[in-house]
This record gives sequence, structure tokens and C-alpha cells, in this order.
Amino acid sequence: MKPLHRAQFLLGQNDGSDAVFKLLQQEFILYETDHSLLKRYYLDSFDWRLYQRNYICGWEESVGKSKNNRKGVFFIHDKSTGSNVCELTLNAVPKFSKDITSRVYYQLLNNILGIRALIAVAELTIRRKRLLILNQENKTLAVLQVESYLIQDETDKKRLDDRLNIISIRGYQKVFGRVLDLISEHLKLHQAKRDLLESLLTVTGHESDLKKINVPRKLEYALDTREAVITVLSHMFNIMQINEPGLRSAVDTEFLHDYRVAVRRIRSILGQVKHVFPDNVLAFFKREFSWLGKITTPTRDLDVYLLKFDGHVRELPLELQSDLAIFRVFLERHWKIEHDRMCRMLDSKRYQKIISEWQRVVVNSDILSEVPEIECLQEEGAGAVRPARDVARLRIWRLYKRILKEGESITPQSPDDDLHELRKTCKKFRYLIEFFEDCYAGQSIKKLLKILKRLQDNLGDFQDLCVQIQQLKGFAEQMLQEGLADTKTIMAMGVLVEKLNDRKIAVRSEFAQCFKVFSEIDKESTFADAIRVHHPKRKTS
Amino acid sequence: MKIVACYNVKGGIGKTATAVNLAYLAAHEGARTLVWDLDPQGAASYYFRIKPKVKKGSKGLLTGKKTLEDVIKGTDYSSLDLIPADFSYRNLDLELDVTKKSDTRIRKLLKPLANAYDYIFLDCPPSISLVSENTLVAADVVVIPTIPTTLSLRTLDQIVDFCKKLNIVRTKLVTFFSMVDNRKKLHKQIIENPPEHVRVLKSYIPYASDVEQMGVHRQPVLVFAKSSRAAKAYQALWEEIKTSIHCG
Repeated sequence: MKPLHRAQFLLGQNDGSDAVFKLLQQEFILYETDHSLLKRYYLDSFDWRLYQRNYICGWEESVGKSKNNRKGVFFIHDKSTGSNVCELTLNAVPKFSKDITSRVYYQLLNNILGIRALIAVAELTIRRKRLLILNQENKTLAVLQVESYLIQDETDKKRLDDRLNIISIRGYQKVFGRVLDLISEHLKLHQAKRDLLESLLTVTGHESDLKKINVPRKLEYALDTREAVITVLSHMFNIMQINEPGLRSAVDTEFLHDYRVAVRRIRSILGQVKHVFPDNVLAFFKREFSWLGKITTPTRDLDVYLLKFDGHVRELPLELQSDLAIFRVFLERHWKIEHDRMCRMLDSKRYQKIISEWQRVVVNSDILSEVPEIECLQEEGAGAVRPARDVARLRIWRLYKRILKEGESITPQSPDDDLHELRKTCKKFRYLIEFFEDCYAGQSIKKLLKILKRLQDNLGDFQDLCVQIQQLKGFAEQMLQEGLADTKTIMAMGVLVEKLNDRKIAVRSEFAQCFKVFSEIDKESTFADAIRVHHPKRKTS
Repeated sequence: MKIVACYNVKGGIGKTATAVNLAYLAAHEGARTLVWDLDPQGAASYYFRIKPKVKKGSKGLLTGKKTLEDVIKGTDYSSLDLIPADFSYRNLDLELDVTKKSDTRIRKLLKPLANAYDYIFLDCPPSISLVSENTLVAADVVVIPTIPTTLSLRTLDQIVDFCKKLNIVRTKLVTFFSMVDNRKKLHKQIIENPPEHVRVLKSYIPYASDVEQMGVHRQPVLVFAKSSRAAKAYQALWEEIKTSIHCG
């Protein structure tokens, strides 16, 4: 279907609505409906995913309602055309895509946002006059809206122009065209070239918010090992800092997840470098980042449980499902305790010291010059000035061989821990490849990562199930101690453990096939080809 | 896209009111909704204040000179559109008769709109004809408003037989009682002992002046009397029909 036409004219900062009404009255029957004062919140993920996909999404509610009444209108607009994609009346501001009642728009948002939350990325107050163009039957043929805007801490310089929106109704394009002609010809108004949100961000000085989107880091081709390590570490630390406010306020679970991934990646690098930092500094960072991993684990584990809770419930026979309700209460209560504890740790002097040391050592590179340029990545015996791509290549190769060795030694009888060890090696391997991905010429690196990911997913699912089963047993005991669980709940949890065990066995049986696919890369020399060093073309003079 | 046909052989039993109010409710929930007023009397178009006129008429649509998208009109309500009635629809039977695969033409015409709408409501003319056959074939659910009287139940039997002849699965047919007058003993008796050979919904629409007032206000009852008994009845009916549509 063709999108509906919509036009926006700038009225300047003086209300030009009278002139518009006077002009259109000569030709059309006009009906002025309600004047409204609205608060509009623009909603998007913290990294502007909807905006990047050409959608502008928001929430409008009347100003001056009672606090208990949060009824309002949720809308999605197409950024390029300004046309309305959807408009839904909801009882509260949606926080996640699952809060959208309409299946189609839930799907649309879910495909873009996943489990990321919608947060208010900008806001303004709108005074809106609405004017309908009617025919003799009182049928609406077009809608006009005159809007003036109020933004926080408004000044003469920091002000938005009033706007006139003209919205067409399907099947009445002629009327829309005529209104447009009249306004352009007689009132000489200019069409707005930018969306209101973009103008708002410019006026409020938040235009850079759109640019804080996480651009994938590319390592420069010629970086030596020390420079490369510092670049990667700085980038990871930056990701930690970007995610910290979100994990503290628990906007959604992904802030903590991304924070922890960055911590793990930093630990992975620290575990493989030598002589970039003085030994005592390296030991300090290794210990402290390990601590960061530990203090964030309990909250993350509970996040995972709560995210998967509905799935767990569905695993149970229908008659047992309601027996798990109290288990959810238990998890939520403990999540709150653990989250508070984690935030306290992040407020601690210990954490502040990590930040300040990092600033001093990595960002300002204060003491790095004191380190002799001997070698940077362990075992390679290469100087810190040797190109990072060459040093990393060797390291990647060795990790690859280690994965093959560890994987091949795993039999159906091997202990669960062996799979966990292999998983950790795969992670190190993956991180290293991703850091240096741009330096390698092989087209097949993407294919390799895909196959590796499949193996990692299998190992990850297996590890998650091991942890969940173990924890479930612990939770059951804890609930009994806290007097929260009755026999029914404990029985339901017992059935859940059985179900998870069944799944664990199934996932474990899939390992051999996943590993086989991965190890076959070796035979085809795909991997060796993938990490061939890329030499940029030299310009000929 | 789900197609809901509001159908009965009898006239004046609340087909159009049902199509208009249910479509309004669907759109109000955010579903992209279209009503096709197939009845040349144009009552649905009248309720939406839209002229019952389609350029090139039914012939234009059947010959492909016009597509349905060309003739869609937006109503005064968000996400709710209408294909108006046209006087030429009185000859739709004859026009369908001369086309190939005459019983699936309407389904074919609606196909290009599959991604544009979540629900399409067909307000069918009161007859047993090729138009009815087309709508019954095209629909995912056939909603049959029935007055709880002996003659109306007899008509319901005829519709069920007609569908059987067309090989239309019975699970597609959903009936509910319309224009129910609780003061009437017969109405009460029939509601308490509904027919068993067809699915009868629990919700029913009372005989209410608010429904008649739709013609005066030219709006769905949920717009001008949203707290009325009739409005609540349509809401309950829509909830049940939605379950039928999505859960079978």
C-alpha cells in the first residue's frame, strides 16, 4: 500500500494558525476540535536502533492527568516520509516490545530491539490545535495540526519553530493536494526539511546523541602490538563505561550483559599480553577485572533465570505451572538484593581505584614507556613494535590448534568441566579473531566465525544448563530455609530439574556433530587461508 | 490477514452493525483494518459517512481496470479503512458468473492486500448467491448474527446446509444471537438451549436503541455511547471472535 501523505510547514515562532484558518475557510468546511497540551517522549533503545532503521517512535500523554492514569498514545512514524506507521492507545508507556498489544507492531519492534528496553531519549511539551476539513456529510477529508513546542530550559535561542502538520486521509488525495497548494502559494510557508526530533536534538545540543551509536572499531593495519593492545583495551573499557549507567538503573538486562562481555574481553587480552604493562600493574588489573566478573555474576545469573522463566514454566505440565509462581517471587526478591549489592560494589573505593588506575595507565599511557619493548603477546617472542597482526596471527593459530586438541579429547564419558574448558578456549580464540578481523585477507573468516559460533552456542547452552540445574537445587534449599516454598513448589522445581537434565543430555549429544563441522575446517585449509595477512595496496607514484 | 465475513440470508438482523463495530474495535486495538461494504444498500458506507460510490463500479474491479487499493477510503478512525458500496454491486452476481473461477474471485481480489491489513471485514448482502459463495469461500471466519426466533434458526440451518454444499468447513462458521430482547420468553429459551450443530458464542447483542442510534450519529456505537450495554456487548463479542480467529 502506498504510504499516506503528510506534510510539515514551519510557522516560525509566532502563531500563524489564524492565517491558515482564514485561508482554508474560504474553500472548505472547517471544524476545530480539541486544543490539547501534550507531553511527548521520544522512545528508542539507548543506542538508537529504531532511529537507525528509519523509525521514530514515541509516546504522547495529556499534561495534568492524575499520576495513576498513564494512558496515552504510542506511535511509530516513518522517518523519511513522516507517515504514520502505527498509533496505539495504551494504558502505560511501553518499556519493551512485548508491552505492545498489537502483534504486527510487536513483531516489528521485537525484530529491531530484541530484549532491549525503550527509553525516553528526548522530550518536549506540545500545544496542539486540531482542525478537520470536512465534506457536506461531516466526513473528515484531511487533518491539520498546528503545534507549538516547549522544551526544557527554553531560551530565545533554544526554541523550536511552530509547525503546521497536514495529514491526508486515504482516498482523498485531491483535498490534500489542494490544501498544500493554497498554503504554499498564499502563505509562502516553507516545508520542514528535518523531522521534529532532529530539530529538537539540534536545539537542545543533543545531536551528538545520535552519533554515540556503537561504531565497530577497526584496527589500523600498521599498528604495532602495544598500540593494538591499548586500542582494543581502551575500546572495551569505553563499552563498560557506556553500559554502566544502564546496568545500575537496570533499564534492561543487556547493559549488564554487554558490560560483562567487555570485562571478559579485557581479561582475555590481559591474560595473553606480556610487557605492555609492568608486571605489578598487570597483576593488579588481572585481579581486579576478575573481581568485576565475580561481583556481577549473581545479578547476571538471576537475570538469565528471569528471562528464561516463562520458557521454564512452559516446560512443566499444565497442572504444575502455577506452582512455580512463588519461585518467580523468590528470584525477583533475590535479584533486587544482588543488584543492590552489585551497585554498592560499583560505588566502592576499590572500583574507583580500578577506574583511576586505568585512566592513569591505559588512557594516559603514563607508565607504559617504562616497559621494555620485548614482547607483548606471550610465547611469540616478538617485540612490542612488531606488527600486531603478525603476532596475533600466531596466537590465533595456536589457540585454534588447542581447540582441536581439547575438542578431540572429549568423549561421551568426559566430565562436564572439559566442555567448559573448551568453551573458555573458544572464547579467547573468538575475541582475538574479532579484534584483528580487519587485518586478515581471507574471505572465509566470516564463514569460520559462523561455524565457531554454532559450536560456541552448543557449549554455551550446555554450560547454562549445568549452572541452572546446580542453582535450582541450591534455590530450592534456600527457599525452604526462607520459609517460601511449600511441597508443591519444591515438586514443581524437581520436575523442572528433570526437564533441564533431559535437555542437557540432548545438547551434549549434539556436541560431537558441532565439533566435527568445526574441525573439518582444518582439512580444507580454510582457516589457514582465513588468517592470511592482508597487505594493503601500495600507491604507485 | 484474517478475513471475517458477516453474513446472513436475512436482512435487518444486525450484520452491518456487527461488521462496523467489530472493525472499529479491531482498529482501536491497533490492528490495520478494512471493511468492504459489499451490500449495494451501502449501510456500512453510510455509517462511516462515505459516499457509496466506486469508480468504474464492480465491473472495473473484476476486469482489473481498478484495484481494490485504488478505491479504499480512510474513515475518521485511525487504522480503519473502507471499500465503499456501489449501486453496481446489485449486478455483482451476474458479473462474477461470467468470470473464470467465479467462486474465488473475491479472495483473489483481496490477496494483494494481505500485507496491508490485519483484518478485513466483509459486510455481505443478505442473499444466497454467487456473491455470498465468494465471501464464504474467502473468509477465515463467517460470523452469522441470528435473532433467537424459530424462523431465524431455520435460516441458520439453511446457511449451514449451503456451506456444506460448498465444502466449507463447519468450524469456520460462528454464530451469535443478535437483537436479543430479554423480556421475550422465546428469546430466553433459545439462548438457554442454543443449536448444537453450529458453534454459538456466549456473547450476544441486546436489542438496544443505541445500536439503532448508529444511523443518527453515523458512528460506531463505541464512539458515541462507549459505556452503553450495546458497546460492552460488542466488546465481549469481539474478544470471543478474536479467540475463534486465532485459536480455531
